[in-house]
Amino acid sequence: MKKVWVIIKREYLVRVRTRAFAIGTVISPLLLLGLIILPGFLAQRGGGGERYVTVLDQSGDPDLFAGLKSRVESKNDSNSDEEFNSSTRFVLTRQVVTAEQDPRELIQSQSSGSGNKGPDKAFLVLGPKILDDVPPEYHAKNLSDFSIRALEGAVSATIAERKLMRAGFDASKIGQYMKPIDLKQFKIGAGGESTEGGMRQDFMVAFALLFFLYMSVLFYGIFVMRGVIEEKQSRIVEVVISSVKPTQMMLGKVIGIGLVGLTQIGIWALSAGLLSMFGAKLFASQGGRVPSIPLNLLVYFVLYFVLGFFLYATLYAMVGSTVSSEEDAQQAQFPVTLLLVVPMMIFGLVMSNPSSTSSIVLSMVPFFAPTLMMLRIAVINPPAWQVLLSMAIMLATILGFVWLSAKIYRVGILMYGKRPNLAELGRWLRYN
Amino acid sequence: MNVVELKSVTKRFDQFIAVKDLSFEVRQGTIFGLLGPNGAGKTTSIRMIVNIFAPDDGDVLVMSKQVSPELQPFIGYLPEERGLYKKMKIGDQLVFFANLKGVSSSEASRRVDDWLKRLELSDWKNKKPTDLSKGMQQKVQFIGSIIHNPEVMILDEPFSGLDPVSVDLLKSVILDLKQQGKTIIFSTHQMEQVEQMCDDICLINHGRQVLSGSLREVKRRYGKNTVILDYEGTDSFLGVDLVKQHKRFANYSEILLSDGADAQEVLRRALEAGARVNRFELVEPSLNEIFIETVTGSKNRAQVAEAAR
Repeated sequence: MKKVWVIIKREYLVRVRTRAFAIGTVISPLLLLGLIILPGFLAQRGGGGERYVTVLDQSGDPDLFAGLKSRVESKNDSNSDEEFNSSTRFVLTRQVVTAEQDPRELIQSQSSGSGNKGPDKAFLVLGPKILDDVPPEYHAKNLSDFSIRALEGAVSATIAERKLMRAGFDASKIGQYMKPIDLKQFKIGAGGESTEGGMRQDFMVAFALLFFLYMSVLFYGIFVMRGVIEEKQSRIVEVVISSVKPTQMMLGKVIGIGLVGLTQIGIWALSAGLLSMFGAKLFASQGGRVPSIPLNLLVYFVLYFVLGFFLYATLYAMVGSTVSSEEDAQQAQFPVTLLLVVPMMIFGLVMSNPSSTSSIVLSMVPFFAPTLMMLRIAVINPPAWQVLLSMAIMLATILGFVWLSAKIYRVGILMYGKRPNLAELGRWLRYN
Repeated sequence: MNVVELKSVTKRFDQFIAVKDLSFEVRQGTIFGLLGPNGAGKTTSIRMIVNIFAPDDGDVLVMSKQVSPELQPFIGYLPEERGLYKKMKIGDQLVFFANLKGVSSSEASRRVDDWLKRLELSDWKNKKPTDLSKGMQQKVQFIGSIIHNPEVMILDEPFSGLDPVSVDLLKSVILDLKQQGKTIIFSTHQMEQVEQMCDDICLINHGRQVLSGSLREVKRRYGKNTVILDYEGTDSFLGVDLVKQHKRFANYSEILLSDGADAQEVLRRALEAGARVNRFELVEPSLNEIFIETVTGSKNRAQVAEAAR
């Protein structure tokens, strides 16, 4: 065991002392933090620009346009963040068009030629029968803009308001009747208590944890593989395994690099904890919102990192031992990396329905458990038996793969040249 | 006392038999040459001694015990395929290697300083291997293999790529270690070095032993069957019946006589043919000759045996 310790120490110190480690530790959380804060920050600054919309009004009802204009302008000012991108300011101008004229011809003549105001020019057509369920039309060069949803909401509300007035409702009360209702959201915690929260906040936290777990396991797993290849390429393996067993060498490497990962994650978790406690207010005053991460989630994160890392690192070590160059490794590591990427492609499924049978089953698969079970823990509180079972399955799988990888590794590290096929790998298992 | 002993050792990889029924003994305080052509099974044999492979049959004994991880600290190994960690300082690497063999860090760093000084590398202690020439790296690797002061040292091509000065330095270190009673197993293709340094040799081919014993005895066994002839004139006098192999060098010929041929007959025919003979000497064959003769001979025998089946 002392020899394993010597290897762990080397692997750890060699990596933690590098500049790359320091930079990676600081940069990655800043990047993610930026991703979380930036949208809110941009919305605050109203960076979306102005959109000029010509309203081709055939309704013959000037109040309709007036209502629409005031609604849109109040929306511009209210800075609500219901819409993802409400930062665009709409500027409406009215152009009265008779019922006989074809609005499309007008749009064509104004969009081509010298009267062209640029790409931002858009048209809203309010037809003569706009109050009789003939829908309004929006013509623009750019339709892939979420802010259109805000305009749509305003038009819809204004038309409903005009319809209500036509039906004889008291104009002064209509605004009150039509006030939109916010669904207040509460999350039921582990103890059954409800705390106010929101889908957005849960999503942010869950996604951040999922993403970081995926990145960390992938990153440090590849680290292990590259370490093995480096030792093979520099022909240092034979020197080392004349002193220690190949299995000890592999375990020492995996544990050493795992500790580097834990150090990094420890720093992140600590900063996240501090940020949740003290930083939230600071950022809130700046207009950004920092989701707070409950302590138990951080604990689970560390647990699932350790398990996930061990599982994938042994696989990556095995892959590294069978190849002789980084180029070969690119191909050979693909199946392993795929196992890690799959949950990143299907996590939406689990997030939207975390208690379904398929979600439960997927989160039990040892290769997916670190990411998907972590996600379920962040979104709902799965029963303890499910969490424990997933961990138990992972542990058993890890032990199996450590055994298998050790057998492949001890032969592979001394083999150079052609990459072995599966049949050859099978035969390696039987070597003395 | 035998420090290393192989007793009818066999090692297979799938259908391929790398080492077959191999036995040899290495006496304490001697330099032992493990020789053979490429792919003969030298590296496999060595890996069994250092406990990287386990034999399928037979016993490998080191200091009279079956090899085991407990014996590894007593063995030093410089493999043919060797290297250093690229991003680690020389001094740190050597301490790491010593630690792996169970030497404490403080003791290790003291020894590292001594050895670096002895091999004239002290200035490079805090440099990384990328800053060192290949020869310097080689010397560092050598230190790494003996830093734990082992009883047995296995050196596979220790001089390859070294300049003559470094070769001399390393040779004196090795001979010094032998003086201290250490045992050295030496594997190389450089037969001159074997002749200079080895007490005993074992030549293997196709995983089998084809020749073994003390160097002196092996050479004596072949007898004085080689004529060194320095002459002027034509070489037409050399009949096929007398000469097994004829090597012409710039100033002389090395003639390996056929079995039972008389050396005097060569001289008689040369004089008869009117050649001027400046030097005529009957010598033991060089180890190089023995090596080539034995390896090609055993190959021919193997082919004959194959054909007879």
